[in-house]
Amino acid sequence: MPPMPALKAEGAWLGACYIMAYAVETVGLVKRYAVAPSGTFIGLDGRPKSRSVQSFTGIFGLFKKQHGPYIEALKGVDLKIKKGEIFGILGPNGAGKTTFIKILCTLVLRDGGEVYVNGYDPSESPSDVLRNLQAVLPESRGFNWRLSGRQNLEFYALLYGLHGDDARARIGYLLDYTGLRERADDCYQKYSTGMQRRLLLCRALIRDTPIIVFDEPTAGLDPTGAVEFRDLLIDRLSRREGKTILLSTHNLQEAQGLCDRIAILDHGGVIACDTPDNIRHLVTEKRTMRVVFSGMVYGPIQDRLISALKEAPGVNSVSPTFDQEGILTALTIRLDKDADISGVLSILTDGGLSIKSVNMDEPSLEDAFMAMTGRGASNQGAGRAEGGA
Amino acid sequence: MSDLPVILKQVFAFTKRDALSWATYRTAAITQVISIFIGVFSWGIQASYVQRPVSEMYSSDYISFLIVGLAVGNLIMPLAQGVERQLNPWTLETIFMTGINKTAFVIGNVMWTYIFSIISFIPYLVIGTYLFNAHLNPNIVATFFAFLISAAILVGLAMISTGIRIVTKSTDPISWLINVLQNLFAGILFPVVFLDTLFFPGISTISWFLPQTWVYHLCRLSMLTNPSLTDPAVLQAFLAGTVFAVLLLPLGYWVFSWGVNRAKREGTLGWY
Repeated sequence: MPPMPALKAEGAWLGACYIMAYAVETVGLVKRYAVAPSGTFIGLDGRPKSRSVQSFTGIFGLFKKQHGPYIEALKGVDLKIKKGEIFGILGPNGAGKTTFIKILCTLVLRDGGEVYVNGYDPSESPSDVLRNLQAVLPESRGFNWRLSGRQNLEFYALLYGLHGDDARARIGYLLDYTGLRERADDCYQKYSTGMQRRLLLCRALIRDTPIIVFDEPTAGLDPTGAVEFRDLLIDRLSRREGKTILLSTHNLQEAQGLCDRIAILDHGGVIACDTPDNIRHLVTEKRTMRVVFSGMVYGPIQDRLISALKEAPGVNSVSPTFDQEGILTALTIRLDKDADISGVLSILTDGGLSIKSVNMDEPSLEDAFMAMTGRGASNQGAGRAEGGA
Repeated sequence: MSDLPVILKQVFAFTKRDALSWATYRTAAITQVISIFIGVFSWGIQASYVQRPVSEMYSSDYISFLIVGLAVGNLIMPLAQGVERQLNPWTLETIFMTGINKTAFVIGNVMWTYIFSIISFIPYLVIGTYLFNAHLNPNIVATFFAFLISAAILVGLAMISTGIRIVTKSTDPISWLINVLQNLFAGILFPVVFLDTLFFPGISTISWFLPQTWVYHLCRLSMLTNPSLTDPAVLQAFLAGTVFAVLLLPLGYWVFSWGVNRAKREGTLGWY
């Protein structure tokens, strides 16, 4: 059955089938949480206290409708994730990342707006959504510690309707794929964090869905494991298999290196959505160019050169650097972000400088993130009790 | 197996996983089996000294009544506990992300416990029969239907209990209430008509509104009295049990779905 066309989602009819333009599309997505769901109490540590309703008055509270006060975890999120791209979701704790992902995974129901996963609505057609999207959520392992990795995968394969030779072949392939074959028959409880993470990936790939969601994929991995995992994401899942990858992470370097595009969420809204390079320059209006050259005694020629540089379009300031003997060794030039660098370099070369190196100090994604959210990515925000909505 | 519907494969997946997991707990498995023997011996010895006729209801002796009651209790109680034991956030979110059918989730989670209970049902009956002279007089067809109706009633109760527990995240008041009422009124250790003698006349009427009473009654009826399903009195009892099953199964499904949807709306499916 072809996906149902969305009211506002973009796409086109191809014969009898509506082809969605995006792997994931949200239009005005809203999610509100009651500050304390019925019968639930939020402890001082921010975690939910158990809803013990041993008193029978508590039972009736369960059936009451929720009437505020609410926290708006998502406030009209509009996102379009193209097929085949690696898309990063960044944001401080409490920004709405986990809620967004769980809505896509059919684990949380939205309160407003539209969501489509390859054209399917997670609230209306959860089974169809889960045939198109699987997730690697570190906090939801769901493996039996007493069974081997292979037995755990066989269990999930059966839940997906795979069995016998088909299941064995798929599991064998995935164990090879993730380098777990040699330890496949060991108990899960003997697995290292990296192996557990790879088994999570195996499970997510059993169904071979076109969209894979990762929540903090490299958290807890050692540097080598993290690099291997990133290579797996880019080389195999994205480049070779063309899967759409949605990545939620606090690791800004990782996002910068992996993602084709990223969205920054804060207080339930998207405050930026673009390529990492464009986002880096969104908030930083200036760039710094540092030019090192063969030392020369400062004189009228150099003075005129610096004056010419200062008058060049896009140049804000020029600061010379001298060594201990008063020899001019470098210039630090502050430029507008759109300034023509070639014009600046022409002035320098025409002035007879023998340039040894030119370095541009580009703003990092972290600089942009800090400027936009006012917080570091790993700072603890006022997240929900579950550890980050 | 290739032709089986997905729902059956899913139930099989849970059963296989739980059986494999159970087999890894060797000590626990051995003690579980030993405790069955100890249990039946202790109850048997006690019952031998308390020979009270139960001819009013089943035309049988107390030891037979008790042995069947305990065996049935051992068979059905794990049904209500099976899903509850599986409810932890890691498992719940991950399992639901497979797109599993809700009924398959509940039945799958109780299936191994149920199979193990059936296996442990046998020593109860063997020891009861050969060591304590319990007199079983079963009708196979009636026993089959009694077990079928009992399973439907208990799966319904298990789904109600699970649905509420997914929302409450803690003690489920429905299960607690069911257990309390069952211990008092369902006739595990004595025929329900004795309640009228123990307390006051008419109180045993409460028992017949409890689904568990019908579980015990139908199992005892079919295993102790060799009943014919064409006998109007027997048929009436089985129809009453069927009514409970027919009501509880959809109600259980509704409550379970309500619990899951409520937790999804509140974003608490992963909470525990």
